[in-house]
Amino acid sequence: MSRLITSALLLCATLGLSACETLSSPVVRLDRQVNYGDAKSVELVTNEFGSTDLQMIAEKMVGSLLETGIFQGRPTVTISTVKNKTSEYIDTTNVMNSIQTTLVKSGKVRFVRSITEMQQGVDELQRQNQSGLYKQTSTAKIGKMTAAKYTLEGELTSIVKQNASTKDVFYKFTLKMIDVEEGSIEWQDEKEIRKTSKR
Amino acid sequence: MTDAKRVETMKAVRKLMLALATTLTLTAHAQHDPGTPAAVAAKVALRGDANGVRIPEMRVVRRNDILMVQADLANIGNTDRTIFYRFRWLDNIGSQVGDGESWKQMSLLGQAQQTVKSVAPSSVVTDFRLEMNVESR
Repeated sequence: MSRLITSALLLCATLGLSACETLSSPVVRLDRQVNYGDAKSVELVTNEFGSTDLQMIAEKMVGSLLETGIFQGRPTVTISTVKNKTSEYIDTTNVMNSIQTTLVKSGKVRFVRSITEMQQGVDELQRQNQSGLYKQTSTAKIGKMTAAKYTLEGELTSIVKQNASTKDVFYKFTLKMIDVEEGSIEWQDEKEIRKTSKR
Repeated sequence: MTDAKRVETMKAVRKLMLALATTLTLTAHAQHDPGTPAAVAAKVALRGDANGVRIPEMRVVRRNDILMVQADLANIGNTDRTIFYRFRWLDNIGSQVGDGESWKQMSLLGQAQQTVKSVAPSSVVTDFRLEMNVESR
């Protein structure tokens, strides 16, 4: 009987211990000196613009573009300027790269070189056609590029408010798709993010 | 201790062990809230307990050849809950499409309901799972 009571007590202890264990949430944390973390985890290190904000913005914008069906017939699109109007240093090309990568993988749209990427394209064409090194039948011909039908333009703004105990940062990312020929805005969406922290 | 008392004690201990074993088994598995319909629960990969958060409805629609999902999350308790969620997209054979979404953190006030939505990244997506965990405090 004492064996039975001992087993019962052991079971109680196990249940008690298992009840104390709480499931961890997918948040960036450091358990040892260096760790490979999950790139998709929520980053809560500071309330400045971070990886999770970038991912959320890209996913929202891509989802919004795909669900409108504006990409019927696989039109050509290029990335124009994305202004950073916040007080932080944020590389907005990071956000646009994520959006472009997902859209290209969807197969619904064709991206063409942006203004910042043009010089590399021109250099390559000149190298192929003017260096005299390549067979004429194999070179890419000058004057055959496909122009963009739409451009994607955007801006990131922030509103920061703080008091003795709290700092609140509100980000808003606005993205527009503009018809190059007509100048009309064919699609527009925004993503709002609020991050609050104790001071 | 007399024989009768010994028998009574053993019966009580056996009952206690059975109750504890049952509870231990139940707590070992994720528990959907009873208010979450079975059809919805089949599409939810819940990490841990629901902690008073149920999913009364999910709406799935295919528009412009792209799958779109909306899920209503309802907090039936009075305590505000922090929820982490993301959608995982699958093709017709159950393989994951894309690298996966990022986790999103959301605050759900007590007695409140919020809708989360997502759009699949490509036309090959035919199925999905909503991964989520609800912090207990």
